[in-house]
Amino acid sequence: MSMKRSSGLAGRFTGGLWYAYVALVALFLVTPLLSLVVASFYDGRFFSIVDYQFSLAWYEAALNSGSIRSALTNTLLISVPVTILSTIIGTAAAIAYTRYEFPWREQFKLFALLPIFFPLILLGLGMSMWASVMNLGYGVLPSIIGELVWISPIVMFVVSITALGIDPNMEEAAKDLGTDTVTMYRKILLPLLSDGIVSGAIFAFVLSWNNYYIVSYLSGAQSTITTWIHGRMTQGFTPVVPAVASIIFYVSLLLVVGAAVFEYRKVTGDE
Amino acid sequence: MSTIDSIRSRVTERSDDAGHPLGGLLRPPRLLMLPMVLLLLFMFVGPMVAIVVFSVQTGNAISLNPLDWTLAHYAEVIGGMLSGQGVYGQVLVNTVLVSITTTVITLLVSYPAAYALARKIDRYKLVFLMILIIPLFTSVNIRVFGWALFLVKNGVLDSIVSLFGVSNYPTLMYQRSTIILGTVYVYLPFMLFPIYLSILSIDDATFEAANDLGATKATVFRKILLPMSFPGVVIGSLFVFVLSLGADVEAKILGGGSIFTMASNIQYSFGYSQNWPLGSAQAIGLLLITVVAGIIILRTIDLQEIASRGD
Repeated sequence: MSMKRSSGLAGRFTGGLWYAYVALVALFLVTPLLSLVVASFYDGRFFSIVDYQFSLAWYEAALNSGSIRSALTNTLLISVPVTILSTIIGTAAAIAYTRYEFPWREQFKLFALLPIFFPLILLGLGMSMWASVMNLGYGVLPSIIGELVWISPIVMFVVSITALGIDPNMEEAAKDLGTDTVTMYRKILLPLLSDGIVSGAIFAFVLSWNNYYIVSYLSGAQSTITTWIHGRMTQGFTPVVPAVASIIFYVSLLLVVGAAVFEYRKVTGDE
Repeated sequence: MSTIDSIRSRVTERSDDAGHPLGGLLRPPRLLMLPMVLLLLFMFVGPMVAIVVFSVQTGNAISLNPLDWTLAHYAEVIGGMLSGQGVYGQVLVNTVLVSITTTVITLLVSYPAAYALARKIDRYKLVFLMILIIPLFTSVNIRVFGWALFLVKNGVLDSIVSLFGVSNYPTLMYQRSTIILGTVYVYLPFMLFPIYLSILSIDDATFEAANDLGATKATVFRKILLPMSFPGVVIGSLFVFVLSLGADVEAKILGGGSIFTMASNIQYSFGYSQNWPLGSAQAIGLLLITVVAGIIILRTIDLQEIASRGD
């Protein structure tokens, strides 16, 4: 990217102003997350910034609590299958949309990506009534199917963007060289798409890991980590909640930063 | 583009010579579409139809009986909204105010930031982008909870002690403006990224040409930047407007449960009063707005263009 070098003091000053503004917006975005982390290390029952003392006690309490462990287990029981299935469903749909021409192609894209734009509360309550009408019940399995509806389209979106960047002549070249469809997918298309698929899978896991609205409608009596946090939040302050919320946040942070660094290395490696 | 089309048509010929229809279903494009289509028909279209059908059911039905229907719930909701009386009048005012204010504020805050990120910021760009992305991947509960902690820590409320104190009652701010702070925060990235991408797609040469021809900064903004980033503004605004209509956790936690928005009222109808038909009738408005906005957004987004930007 060619960036115009601003010269002179005035130019540097306005350049600094842009940085300051973006830094301010960034600060706004990290404020609640920082507060959460600060609060999670606070030693005491009643929060106060005046006599702050660092402590890991609430993390210990969180990891030793049976109800939190079972909520974490439920979350993993949902998010691992969701990650695997949404990656398969989303990637397949992305390949169909980007690498083939067929009737109603644009309508297929429109339909498949529409759930991304739905407020989750709308998806959640519709699914909850539907689960009751169809006798699906409430628990881990309906939660998996429910989250798939929102997350598979997101994977499709991410993979589509990678797939559209690949030379459209590629399949034709492979076919001209006598490659059959299975080999073409295994040796050419899927390896070329691997970046998009890996990012899509990471996003899928993190979104499922953090999902609240859909599981709150479908998980029934099983509590997941987000419904556990929500329940405690509305009941009043418990000092263990910031610690649990922070653990969830660290996992997301690690994965998203990992995905970004992975992408960034790829980009700079190509140049 | 013509080469791509010709190749695509050749690929199509190959995949269409499958013989009978069942064979076509088991070959690449159809086979690949099948899982997504089945999933969405079952768990996306089905639930949305359920909302529509439940909204015309009588009484407190929890099972469907399409032959026995009524428009009474619509009459109750729309009547309440039109007269401005009772809970529905309040819900309408709160929801519209929260959503419109959120959209306007996020637009005003995001536009300069998106412009700076796309054209002015070079160093630490990845760090800034990361910070803007991370909230999107953190549970809405956790972010809103973080705000609750923050507001308390800074003593914005004088009730720090009562909040985390002996009384087990979360006395947060009970105000519309606190909810708006929450929705602005949660949906800001949805405004920022579409605008950022649309500004990023403007060729540097366009700006240089304008400068060479002696255009003032104001002219460049009015004649180039604004019109060319307009799709991003439309997408971002629709996104934020629709998503903030569905804001429930923000209303519940930051509004302290006393300010009812459409989403929290729908929640209430389902959760506490167990009145599915009434909740569904309220959700229909949200559903209609969402479908229309979603289709407009998807028609405006050009995936090919995003892909060709290579970032």
